[in-house]
Order: sequence, then structure tokens, then C-alpha cells
Amino acid sequence: MSAPILSVRALERRVGDVEILRRIDLDVMPGEAIGVIGPSGSGKSSLLRCIAGLDEVSGGAVMVEGRQTRPGDGAVGMVFQQFNLWPHLTARENVALALKLVRRMPAADAAAKADAALARVGLGALGGRKPAALSGGQQQRVAIARTLAMEPRVLLFDEPTAALDPELTTEVLDVIRDLAAAGTTMLVVSHEMGFIARLSTRVVFLDHGVVVQAAPPAALFGAQAEPRVRSFLQTYLDRVAWARDA
Amino acid sequence: MIAALLESFAAAARGLPLTLAIWGAGVATGLALGFVIGAVRFFAPAALSWPLAAVVEAVRGVPFLVQCFLLYFGGPFIGIDLTPIVAGWVALSVYGAAYFSEVFRAGFMAVPPGHLEAARMLGIPRNQAVLRIMLPMMALAVLPSLANLAVILIKETAILSIITVPELTFRVQGVGSATFAFAETTLVLALVYWALVEATAVASRHAERRIARALAA
Ligand SMILES: Nc1ncnc2c1ncn2[C@@H]1O[C@H](COP(=O)(O)OP(=O)(O)OP(=O)(O)O)[C@@H](O)[C@H]1O
Ligand SMILES: [Mg+2]
Repeated sequence: MSAPILSVRALERRVGDVEILRRIDLDVMPGEAIGVIGPSGSGKSSLLRCIAGLDEVSGGAVMVEGRQTRPGDGAVGMVFQQFNLWPHLTARENVALALKLVRRMPAADAAAKADAALARVGLGALGGRKPAALSGGQQQRVAIARTLAMEPRVLLFDEPTAALDPELTTEVLDVIRDLAAAGTTMLVVSHEMGFIARLSTRVVFLDHGVVVQAAPPAALFGAQAEPRVRSFLQTYLDRVAWARDA
Repeated sequence: MIAALLESFAAAARGLPLTLAIWGAGVATGLALGFVIGAVRFFAPAALSWPLAAVVEAVRGVPFLVQCFLLYFGGPFIGIDLTPIVAGWVALSVYGAAYFSEVFRAGFMAVPPGHLEAARMLGIPRNQAVLRIMLPMMALAVLPSLANLAVILIKETAILSIITVPELTFRVQGVGSATFAFAETTLVLALVYWALVEATAVASRHAERRIARALAA
């Protein structure tokens, strides 16, 4: 068995006397896709932001390939719910900026690499457009290309389709699925249960900052679900059923 | 009466170059100083930001006329002995900077933190993120407010006449005191400043569009 690429050890985050994450332990093997689900406010975003180094941790450690991470050290890439594309730059410039400033690539090489990353998310032809001239799904795919171009060891997705119209989610989820199939190590927070069930090698269920269950999707979405997980999924299924009947 | 009007217009024309020069210089240094104050108040720790906030509040809370008096007549008591034109330029710069700084500070605050977090995750250094992402993003947002303030400042230059800066108002009032044609001189002042404000407003909208287009390119 190989070593984990990402290790989360006894991770804690407190703000004042609010406990947001409580002793989270998680080992992620290379090539794994970890789905993270749980009710609103359970700490899913906080977990990803602590792994990314964007939120301060109160205890424990996050290691990528045995080294403690810092934001921007290239270990972890993050895709945000709100895309966070820079509006004054074209799609290509959004992807190329860090290649130029951080990797110190010459402009032409950076642009070529940016175009390759855009092609990988199906946007090869739209590099010259500003974010405002792209649909939400296209914008999120540019954001994914921007992260991919820096070749992080682990990719984090925090509700990548939550800000999208339902008909635009598929194109983004397909890109994430392709990346997982190509062996990208990732953690994905999402409320798209069907997607999470099909994508994930393991699913982590968080509640009140605690990992209630971490198991392969067949177990977690099936008969071996913990009672708290089962009740959460039941509410979710009820909502889907209601939507289908309505 | 016609003679008084003509004489007033002639005096206005003689004062106009200095009014425009002192306004242009005041706006330029006011913008630069305002940008620095706004940036320090946004980025620097509270220990640095607080005293500046107090100064900005004081400048915004005291009438420009009183500030000019303080600088020009009070300055010599603490060793600041300025000629009227320099005093006028300094006063206008400080006054403008206080207002400009608030616009810049609001501009910094309006850049969504997520846009900078994205840069941070990619390893883009903070100073580069400010230069390449924050400033261009805020530029478009602050441009109209800055232009609007610059236009307002042209009216404030009239106050410099009371510290004997020989600008437009000073010259036209000179005609008034010599001829006692106060109605005519005042009417000319009103018309000339109104025209100036309209002209600078048009010019600033034009500049605004050009800068916006340059930034968008
Ligand atoms: N800076 C903070 N200060 C105080 N409380 C915070 C802070 N950030 C997050 N929280 C709290 O921590 C808890 C977890 O928040 P988090 O955003 O991680 O939840 P989440 O699972 O991502 O929820 P959602 O599904 O709504 O996105 C929430 O109760 C939230 O109010
Ligand atoms: Mg969240």
C-alpha cells in the first residue's frame, strides 16, 4: 500500500468558543476522490479551507506528501463556489497569470499552457473572452483550468455547482468526473448526491464539525449508513421525490 | 453696466489660468496623497490607520475656508510660512486627499476577498495580487466618484481668493471693489464657475470613458 498523499491529523478549528471542526482525521491516497457531504453549517467549507491553509487551524496538522502546507505552495489547488475569476482579464489571462508570476514562464509559453488547460475543460475556443461574456458553467470551468494549470497535488472543490443554474451543472460535473478518472486526487464538497455517489472512492459525512462516517459510497448511501447519515439522506431523498412528484 | 460686465469677464479670463493650474495641481497631489492614505488605512495595522482616520475626519469636518485661514495665517506661528499660491495648493491638496482617500478605501473594500484568495492559492505574491488584480478591479469602480470630486474641487478654488491667491475670484472681486459693480461681478463669477464645472464634468466623463476603455482592453 502506498503512502497517503494528504493526511489530516486531529484537525481542530475554533473561533471564539465555537467549535467548527473537532479532531478530524483523514488519510487520502493518491488518485482518490473524496466526497464531502453534510448539513449546512456542518463544517464542510471550513474543512476544505483548513486543508488549503486559508482558515487558521487551532490544532492538529495538514500534510501533503509529508510536508505541512501553506496557501500558494503548489500542494493544494482550490475551486470556489463563486468561481472568483478576475473580471478584467480574459479566460486565457486568468489561467496564465500565475504561470507568469509564479512559474516565471515567458508570456507565450504561459498562454500556450493556458490554452491547453482550457482545452482540457472543453473551452479551447473561448480563451479570448472575459468572464462576463461566459456562462456560469463556462466560468467555473475556466476556474478549474486556472487551478489545473498550476498542477497541484490535491484539488479541492467547494460546492463547485452551487452557484449555477441546474442545466449548467452537468458540464462542470463532467469535467470533475474526467479529472477523477484521470487519477487526480480530490476532495469535493457537493449537495449533488448522485454525482458524489458515482464519483467518490470514499464519502465523508460531517455533522457539527465531526466526521460521523467515512466509507465507500455503496456503504454510506446503502444499508451500512449510520443513523445520522440515514436521516440526512432521507430528508434529501424526500426533497428529490417531492420535486419529481410536483 | 455692460462695461462692468465686460471688465469682469476680462478679469475672469486673466485669473482663469491660475485657477486651472492650482486646481490641476491640487487634484494631482490630492489623488496621489489620497491614494496613499486610502491604501494605508486599508492595509496597515490599526496603529497606523487610526491617526490617519482622525486627520481625514478633521479635514472633512472643518470648512475649507477655515482650513485655508489656519494654514495661511496660522502656519507662520509654527514655522510654516507659505506664499499664497503654495498655501492654496497645499490646502486644496490636503482637502482633496481627505475625500479621495475615502473613495480609494471604499474601492479596496469592495474587491471581494475570494478574488484575492484565488490568487493566494495559486501562489501569486500579495503585492502582485494588489497590483495585477486589486487595483484594476477597483479602478473602474472608483473612477466616477473620483471624477465627481475633482469637479467639485474646482468650485472650492474660489475660496483661495481670501488668502489673496490671484485666481479667478480674486481678480473679479478686484473689479467689484474698484467699481462697486458688485451685482455684475457676482453674476459673472456665477456664470464662469458654472461653465467651468460643466466643462470639467464633460472632460472628466470623457477621461473616465478613455480610462475605462484602456483598462478593459
Ligand atoms: N469565521 C467564522 N467565525 C465564526 N463562525 C464561523 C466562521 N466560519 C464559519 N463559521 C461557522 O462554522 C460552521 C461551519 O461553517 P462552514 O461554512 O464550514 O459550513 P458548511 O458545511 O460549508 O455549510 P454550507 O453547506 O452552508 O456551505 C457554521 O456554523 C458557521 O457559522
Ligand atoms: Mg460551505
